[in-house]
This record gives sequence, structure tokens and C-alpha cells, in this order.
Amino acid sequence: MSTRRFVQTQGPIGEFSALPLLQRAEARDLLCAGYGLLIVALVLASYLMGALGWLPHDPREMNVGLINAAPLTPGHLLGTDFLGRDLQARLILGIQAYFLPGLLAIAIAVVGGSVLGVLAGYRGGWVAAIITYFDNLLDSFPRLVLILLVIAAFKADIYAIMIVVGITGMPETANLIAGKIAFLKQKNFIEAAHALGLPAHTVILKHILWLNCRAVLVIQATLGMAEAILVETSLSYLGFGVQEPTPSWGNMVQAGANYFLQGNFWPSTAPALLILATILGFQLLGDGLNNMLEGKRRRS
Amino acid sequence: MSAPLLSIENLRTYFYSRAKRAFIRSVDGASLSVARGETLGVVGESGSGKTVTALSAAGLVTGAPGVIGGSIALQSNGVARNLLEGLERYVRVEEKEGRVVAVEKDERGWRRRVETLMAGVRGKEIAMIFQNPRAALNPYSTVGTQLVETIRMHTGAKGEREAKERAIHWLERVRIDSPRLRFDNFPFGMSGGMCQRAMIAMALSAEPSLLIADEPTTGLDATIQSRIVELLAELKAETGTATLLISHDISVIQRLSDRVAVMYGGTVVETGLAAQVLAAEAPARHPYTSALLAAIPSAETVRNKRYLQAIEGEVLDTIEVPPGCRFHGRCNRVTDAVRERCAGVEPPLAEIAPGHQVRCWLYPAPSKAP
Repeated sequence: MSTRRFVQTQGPIGEFSALPLLQRAEARDLLCAGYGLLIVALVLASYLMGALGWLPHDPREMNVGLINAAPLTPGHLLGTDFLGRDLQARLILGIQAYFLPGLLAIAIAVVGGSVLGVLAGYRGGWVAAIITYFDNLLDSFPRLVLILLVIAAFKADIYAIMIVVGITGMPETANLIAGKIAFLKQKNFIEAAHALGLPAHTVILKHILWLNCRAVLVIQATLGMAEAILVETSLSYLGFGVQEPTPSWGNMVQAGANYFLQGNFWPSTAPALLILATILGFQLLGDGLNNMLEGKRRRS
Repeated sequence: MSAPLLSIENLRTYFYSRAKRAFIRSVDGASLSVARGETLGVVGESGSGKTVTALSAAGLVTGAPGVIGGSIALQSNGVARNLLEGLERYVRVEEKEGRVVAVEKDERGWRRRVETLMAGVRGKEIAMIFQNPRAALNPYSTVGTQLVETIRMHTGAKGEREAKERAIHWLERVRIDSPRLRFDNFPFGMSGGMCQRAMIAMALSAEPSLLIADEPTTGLDATIQSRIVELLAELKAETGTATLLISHDISVIQRLSDRVAVMYGGTVVETGLAAQVLAAEAPARHPYTSALLAAIPSAETVRNKRYLQAIEGEVLDTIEVPPGCRFHGRCNRVTDAVRERCAGVEPPLAEIAPGHQVRCWLYPAPSKAP
């Protein structure tokens, strides 16, 4: 059960103020989005630390005397791994493995999806049919299997894999945009904009994509990032992605797993928890934004 | 007599119904003209082709095959431009026994052609307002932003500040209270009437020579309707913009039009001065017009507790157009003298008085009488 709050706002005549987004939103959504934003900020900060080399420790330096050290060991806040390398530094550096490739995947999915979506929504007909078909085709296929096939066939590196992730993400975005346009077409402001003589590109880019679809696109981007992280870490875990000694959360889980049953659960649990927290963060951010901006709450 | 501002000749706009595997002849040989500064009211039942005529004139027909014949001449800067120029190169119509059986149209080529023909015309020379104004504004952008956008597109006001001043000036001209505050309103914060005012401001801000008003009062409250009609009348007097006013509301047409065209079954069945066509006691008029007028409640019918007369039958299904007069199946004034011709031959638009033309065999044109 959710309670709804009605607040009267007063202002000068003619000033109709819809409640600001933050006041209108439900606490649950704010919590989700807030947690997600925190995760995004942490990931961004950690990425920059890794990129600029501001690490608490040299991630490559091995210390054979301190193998699988527990957290809070002096000098190693989060302990060390099976080669005595600082876990905290490696976890921070692990973000490099997915951050830029993930952005690439998002960019492809969002830009390509928008183009296809506009084509399908605006033109309809066979373009729409092909996109729906393509979407169904991809849905009937586990994504990871598809990516493994690509790796097997082309010996693809992480960027190539992320291009595949991006391309396979396109139909979903395209469907959302096409649906949105189909909905917008019932309201005739698109026709009105044409009648007012606005050129087609202004109508499509500004009035449709920017003003009416930006929320959808942001949501798709956050969900896409979660997906990209999952794919990267899964592949690295399986040994197809980032290879040792370059750290990735996926290969760290895998490397640490060998010592898990010996009681040294920490080296593999730490990256696993981070994967969980991060993906959850991006997903919740997407969900929270979706509920707040698009108001698509499933009534329970 | 100088050439009219807009002159539509023998316009034909068809749509293909996949379900019925036949052409719907939405507009089938309609001819209209609007002189400079004049308001032409187009009346007719739903489905008589009024709106499609207007959309064709603005080049906004989206269905296929769409416009397939005719000419639309627009005077712009003293030069006549045919907005359907070269149409015959994109369309091949196959007719058999007076029936269109197949239409081939290079839809893409024609769209592109329309865009070139309409460049600098749509929005600038011909502006359009719609019914249901709330839906005609982008919900995610303020009224002011949208107004500024059209002003910057069509007028010399390129600077943001100058455009904003003009926008506020236009909001004032369409009688919106506290325009400076309304400027920052989103459409959802405004009433339907105010949205329509904003739409009118947007359409007129480019100072077009022709305004197409497609059912501008439909979907508004009755009181708001009359206010919008008042506003349109005032703006007509102020700006002198020629208007093609489409409505099924005869009182709106009566209030605003100089001339009236009555459409039925995709064609114009009567046209003339508003006084001639809609006068209470006209000496001669098309039976369809009489029937339309008889269907409006007036103070007199209410006082006398008389029943309103509905028009018998249904609006002509423009798939199967009968060979004779389009209205003859519903006409209650067919006499034995003309019955044969009504069923067999479509009457021409005959001039029965200066400027008053009727498409009916009851009023044979003096010159064209067989």
C-alpha cells in the first residue's frame, strides 16, 4: 500500500507549479535512485582514481609474505590476494575493465536504438516489422551464449564484445522509442509542429527525442551499464574477458575462488560483493528513475 | 477581379482501405477558393472530406495514396505557386468506367517533392490550427519556448530576447492574461481554451497570409468555444489574415465566414456568400444545405417544441460513389422531373446567382441547361 500525498502550492497568478520531481516521488523510488546515484558516483570516482593512478598501493606489487591477508591488515585495508597484491588497489583498478567498454555499449545501444526507433515509429511498415523480428530473435537467444559465439568466431577483445552488447541492446531501446512515438502520434503536436513549418530534423531530434524520450534514454543507459558490467565480469570470470595480471572483478572472483574453501573467502567475496552492489545500483537507479520520470509503477 | 489567394481546383485525395480493398475517396473533385483577407467556412458532416481538404492544402496528408490529382494555387508575393506542381509525374491513376481501379504513386518521391514545394510555405504562408489544442502542444516544453521556436523560424527576430518579446506580445494579442507568467507555463498547466489561444498565437506569429483552422473549437467547453470564436473574429479584423475555417458547427461558421462552401461526399455541393447560403429564407439552395440547417436547434424550434429534423440515411460511403448526384439517395426533394437525371448524371456546380453556385439538378444553370 502506498499513500499519496497531496500538497497545495501557492504562487502568483498564472504560475502553475507542478510539484518538483523530488517532492512528487515516492520514498521507495527516491531511495532506489539515491542508492544508484551513490554507486554511480563511487564508480566514477574510482574510475578516475584508477585512470590517474591514485591508488592506495601498487596493484602489481606482490608480497609473498602476506598472501591472502585478511582485511584491516596494516597497509592493506581490504587485505591481499593469493599473490599478496593489495586487494583495494586491484578492486579500484578493476573498474577500468568495464567502464569505457560499458560506455561504448551504452552509446551504441542508445544512439542506434534511437535511430531505429525513430525510423520504426515514424515510418512504420517494414522497418518496424524488422525491428520487432530482430528483437524477438535476440530475446530467444541467451545473450552470453551469443557473445561466447562471437568470441569463438572472431577472438574478440572486450571492446568488440561491448559492440556486440550494444548492438544486441539496440532493439529494446528501438522498441521503447517506437512505442513512445506511436503514443505521441495520437496527440497531434507532431503534426502541429510540421504544420507550423518546423523542419523534420528539429521535430525528430528536439521535440521527440530530446523533450519526450530523454527519460527513456537515460533509463535505458543505466540499465545498459548494469548489463555491460554483468557481461564483462561474467566473461572475465569464465576467462574470456580481461586476463591476469590485469585486474577485473570477474577474474578476481575466479582467482580467489581457489582459496575459498581454505577459509580465505575474502579475496573472492570482496569483488563478488562489489559486482552485486554495483549492478544492483545501476538497476535500481534505472528502476527508480523509471518510476519517477515515466510513472510506470506496477500497481500492486 | 484579382486571383484568389488560395485556389483549390478539382482536388482528389484518396486513401486505400486494406480491409475493404477499395479506395476511400475522401476528397473527390473539390474546388474551393479563398480570397485575400476573406474567411471561407467549410461545413459538412463528419466524413465529408473537410479536414482532408485542409490537410491536402497544407501538404500534410500522410496516408497512402493521398493526394492524387488537382491543383492548389497559392499566391505568394504576387506569384502563383502550384503546391501540387508535377504531381502527375508521381501518380498514375487507372480508371475504368469512371471508377478509379488502381493508383500507382511514388510515395517517397512525392513526399520529398512536397517538402520542397512546401519549404517557406508551411508555417510561413499557410499556418494551421487544430482541434484538441492540448494535444497540439508539446507537453514537455513550455508554451513560451515553443512560441519562440516558431517565431525564430519564420520571422526576422533571430535573437532570443527579441523573439521572447514578440512571443509575449503575441500571447497578449490572443488575450492571455499575464502573458509574462504564462510564457513559462507548460501546456498541462493551462486550460484547453488557453492552449488554443497559444496555438493561435503560434500560427499567427509568422504573419501567414492564410490560416487554416481545422475545427478550432471542437473539444472545448461551450463557453470557451464562443470565446475562441470571438477571438478569431477579432484577430481577423486586426490582422486581415485569410482563413479557411473548417467546422461542422454551423453557428461558428455563421459567425466568422464571409463565404461558405458546403461539402458532401468529398466534393463541394454549394458555395456562395454566407448570407446567401446560410440565410434563413434562401430562395434556392442545395437540399443538403437545407437539411443541415434544419438539423440545428434554433430559438424558434425550441419555442414551438418542434422536433429537429435529422438527415435520413447515412453519410455517403465514398467507396461506392453512385453515378448520379452524391446526395440523391438521401435527398427529400427529388421530383419526377429530375429523378432520372439525379440518379444518372452528376450535376455540375451551376451558378444560380452571382457568386452562388449549387450542384443540383433542381437549379439548372441558365447557360448549361441541357
